[in-house]
Amino acid sequence: MVVLAPLVGAVLTPIVARRDRRIAQWWALGIMTVTSVAAVALMVRVTEEGPFSYYLGGWVPPIGIEFRFDEVSAFIGIVCLVGWLAILYSFRYTEWLRGLEKPRIPYYYTLLLLNLAGLIGISITGDLFNFFVFLEIISLSGYALVAVSGERIAEMAAFKYLLIGAVSSLLVLLAIGLIYALTGSLNMADISARLGGAATRPLGVAIGAFTVGFMVKAALFPLHIWLPDAHAIAPSPVSAVLSGLVVKVGIIGMLRVYQIVYGSGSMNLDGLNQVLMWLGAISIIIGAFFAIFQDDIKMMLAYSTISNIGYIVMGLGLASQYGLIGASIHVFNHALIKATLFLGAGCLIYRTGKRTLTELAGVGRSMPWTAAAMSIGAISIVGIPPTAGFLCKWYIALGAVQAGQTFFAFALVFGALFIFIYYIRMVNAFYFRPPADPEILAVKEAPPSMLVPVLLLAALCLIMGVLGRLPLTFIEPAVTRLLSGMGGG
Amino acid sequence: MIEALWHNIDYVACVVLFCIGLYAMIAKDNLIKKFIGLNIMETSVFAFIVALGVVEDGDAPIMGSGATPPFINPLPQSLILTGIVVAVSTTALALTLIIRIHKQCGTIEADELREME
Repeated sequence: MVVLAPLVGAVLTPIVARRDRRIAQWWALGIMTVTSVAAVALMVRVTEEGPFSYYLGGWVPPIGIEFRFDEVSAFIGIVCLVGWLAILYSFRYTEWLRGLEKPRIPYYYTLLLLNLAGLIGISITGDLFNFFVFLEIISLSGYALVAVSGERIAEMAAFKYLLIGAVSSLLVLLAIGLIYALTGSLNMADISARLGGAATRPLGVAIGAFTVGFMVKAALFPLHIWLPDAHAIAPSPVSAVLSGLVVKVGIIGMLRVYQIVYGSGSMNLDGLNQVLMWLGAISIIIGAFFAIFQDDIKMMLAYSTISNIGYIVMGLGLASQYGLIGASIHVFNHALIKATLFLGAGCLIYRTGKRTLTELAGVGRSMPWTAAAMSIGAISIVGIPPTAGFLCKWYIALGAVQAGQTFFAFALVFGALFIFIYYIRMVNAFYFRPPADPEILAVKEAPPSMLVPVLLLAALCLIMGVLGRLPLTFIEPAVTRLLSGMGGG
Repeated sequence: MIEALWHNIDYVACVVLFCIGLYAMIAKDNLIKKFIGLNIMETSVFAFIVALGVVEDGDAPIMGSGATPPFINPLPQSLILTGIVVAVSTTALALTLIIRIHKQCGTIEADELREME
C-alpha cells in the first residue's frame, strides 16, 4: 500500500490533470498524504511488534517477493515528510521555472512521485532484484528531474549523472547476479542463511561491486564528481529530495549488504570497514574544503552533502555501536537539515533571481524568515549543541573513540571546523555584509506555500536536537541486532 | 589456467565485453560513443547473468507434454528481461538529453562542451 499509492498515483497524474494542470499539484499532495498516513501506521506497528513481512501476491519467500518492514525501513518516515513538503513547495516553484513549460508541469509531479515511490520501495523490499528495480526507478526519475531546471548546463549535468549512475546500477546488478550464482536465491533473509558455505572469492567480488555501486550512488569520494553539478542545477525542491534522500539509497544498500553478510557470518568485513573509514574521512575534508571556495549557494550546499555522506560512511566503517547509531541518525537528520537549506536557498533564488553569496549579501534584512531558517540549518549542520546535527556527530565521534580510532575522531572535528567556516560565510553574507545591490533590500519574503516547509523543517532541526531519543528508539534495536551478527562488535 | 579460462569461455567473453565498454565510456569524447560504451557494458552484464542459468544439454523451460528435464534455469532470463526494459528506458532518456545538449550547445563532443562551460 505504501509503495502502490505513489506508484499508481504517479502514473495517473497526467491523466487526472489533463483538463487543468492545477489539479496535478493537489493530486500529488493528496497521494503523498495517503502514503504518509500508511507509513506512520507501519512505523507504529514496527515499534510495537518488531520487524514483520508482507508477501506480494501471497507467494511465500524465497519464491515470492517479500516486503520486509524493519527498523532500517523507518527511513520511509523521513521520505514521506520531506517528499510531502517538497511537493507543497513545488506549487509555486514550478510555475516559475524557466525550463519547464506550463503544460508539462503534471509530468514533473509524475517524476517526483515516482522518485518517492522508489525511495519508499527500496527501504522496505526484502528481495535483491526488487531492490535493483526500485534503484533504477529512483535513478531514472532523478536524471530526468535534474534536467528540467532549464539552467544552461542542466542537460550536461543530467547526462553526466546518468552515465555514472548507470554504471553504478550495472555494478549492483552484476553483484546481484554473482550472489544469485552463489546461493540460488534472491531473498535477502534466505541468502543470508545460505551464504554460510559459499566460496569467499566470488563473494568478495560481489561485495566489492556492491560497495562501489552504492558508493557512487552515495557520492563518496572519489566517486562524487557527478554530485555537485547535478544537485546544484536541479530545481530546489528536487535538490532537497536528491540531496536529502536519494544519496542515502547508497547507505541503505550498504546497510542491507552488511545485514546479509553479518547475518551469515561467512566473511570478515574488517578490510572493507577500514577502506570505508578512510574514504569517509577523506570525503569529509575534501567536501568541506571545496565548499569553502564556492560562491554559488547551491553548489556550496552540494559539496556539503559530500562531506556529510563522509560522516555517515565513516560511522558505518567504524562498526562500533555508537558509530552505527550516529550514522543512522545522521541519515535522518541530514535529510532534515539539507532539505531546510536547499528549500531555503530555493526561496532566495525565487525572490531575488540570484545564486551567488556575493550577490545575495544583505538578504537577511529583506527576507528575515528564510534567512533565519537557513541559519538554523547552518548551525545544525555544523553540529552546535541544541540542534539536530550535534547529536549524530557526537555519536560518531564517540563511536570512533569506542573503536579505538581516535584519529578519526580528530578528522571529524577538523571537518566540522571546515564546515563551520563556510556556513559562517553564508550567515555573514546574509546579515552582516552590506548589500551588493540595493534591490536586494526591496525583495519580499517568500510566499507562504514555500515558506511554511522551510520553517517547519528548520523547527524540526531544533526539535530533533532536543528530542534526540525519538529516532534512537528505532535505531538502537536494529544496530544491536546487526552487531550481534558479527560477534558483539 | 588456460584450460580453466577455456572452460569458462562465456564468462571470459563477458569480462572482455565489459572492459571494451568501459574503455569506450572513459576514452571517447563523443557523447553518443560514450553511451554506446555504456550499452556494451550493460549487454555484458546481461549476458553474464543469463549464462549463469545455462544447464548443459538443457531444454527451454516450457511446460507441456513433451517437456523433459533438465531445463535451463528460467529465473535469470526473466530477471534480465526486466534489466533490458530498464536499459531501454535509460537509453531513451540519454538520447533525449543528447538531443537537447546538441540543440543548446551545437556540439556533442565532451571536450568542446567543457570549453563552453
